[in-house]
Amino acid sequence: MSLGEQDDALIRAALDGSARAWDQLVRRYETQVYNFSLRLAGNQTDALDLMQEVFLGVYRNLHRFRGDAQFSTWLFRIAHNKAIDMGRRRPLSTSLETILEEAGDQVEARWQQLDDVPDQNPLAVLDEHQRNARIMSLMGALSPEQRLVVELKVFQSLTFEEIAELQDISANTAKTRFYTALRRLKALMEQDHGM
Amino acid sequence: MACERTATLVADYLDEALPLHQRHALDHHTQQCPDCALALQDARQTHAHLLRWQHQAVPQWRRPALPKQEVQRPPLRWAWWQWAPLAASCMLALAVVLNVQISTGSQGLAIRFGAASTLDTAQLEARLAAFETQQQAALQTLSQALMQQQSADNARLMEAMVDSVIEQVGASTALSLEQVIAYFESQRQQDLQLLQAGYQQLADSDYATIRSVEQLAMLVQGGQP
Repeated sequence: MSLGEQDDALIRAALDGSARAWDQLVRRYETQVYNFSLRLAGNQTDALDLMQEVFLGVYRNLHRFRGDAQFSTWLFRIAHNKAIDMGRRRPLSTSLETILEEAGDQVEARWQQLDDVPDQNPLAVLDEHQRNARIMSLMGALSPEQRLVVELKVFQSLTFEEIAELQDISANTAKTRFYTALRRLKALMEQDHGM
Repeated sequence: MACERTATLVADYLDEALPLHQRHALDHHTQQCPDCALALQDARQTHAHLLRWQHQAVPQWRRPALPKQEVQRPPLRWAWWQWAPLAASCMLALAVVLNVQISTGSQGLAIRFGAASTLDTAQLEARLAAFETQQQAALQTLSQALMQQQSADNARLMEAMVDSVIEQVGASTALSLEQVIAYFESQRQQDLQLLQAGYQQLADSDYATIRSVEQLAMLVQGGQP
């Protein structure tokens, strides 16, 4: 059974009232949605709030999913809209100090978990979190529109036509917005001596 | 950025879905255009830096439960056989109300509505004929009784009139003939009124008889013996 067929089976079961199927569906996509939310929100608290809203939106509209597109595409369309709504409601926490501080807390929590996983290198974990923190900081320096285009193009691998449809803009506008965002990121990276 | 193609060129180049022949065309342009070549190199570095993102594990969070009341189910569809008991009940009730009778005989299956009549046409005609004879006899008896009563009344009346005239003529010889004639005329008028009342009674009796015949016919047609 393919991934899409498994999704369809879980959706049908969830629509029939199976809490277990719904839970499996959420667990299957929560990591992708959480990382999407983290890059856009810039901190764990807002990312969890955004993820909560995304899955609430998914189950409220699950009966409308027709299977014309992949479930993941449909889900990230909802996530995209929720991210825009959230960006309008509250400014993102984008300062590097805040992000690094939060990343430090997460590293400390991971180190405590590493007692059960002796093969994991603590320095690698630290490096991973610091790298993610810098990327979040860079993303946070972009405008909400630029940030969404970079997220959808780089991390979700959408085509410019799909991005244009999602954001109700032309494909050329999406390309220009993407290029402008990359130039801005490049300039910020050059200022960041740590990379 | 001197070249006006740079933005779309860089975006297209980083699009993994770009067809190969278009990618070759972009390669050819960047070999000719140093601005685009430099912009593309910077964009690739930035793109690669972003892709160094490592998926972070999801912390503990409250997964939204599936609220059963919010799941919209498709509307129930009734199969035809689920209506069968209701249809059978309706048919049975209709048959009881209409008093449907189904029977088989020499002419095959017969379905009749309403109560079955216990009289055939010959019996009905015989009963009507007997009733007519009975009514005619009653009418004749009544007529004879009326005529006898009328004759007796007339005789008594004439006798009383003669007695009255004799008394009056005897008592006063001065009574003129005109008064006698007027007296007889008034008595005649009274006789006429009595006769008219008698005929009216006879006509009423006839009308009651006709009504009785009609009621009897209706009862017979309604299946009542």
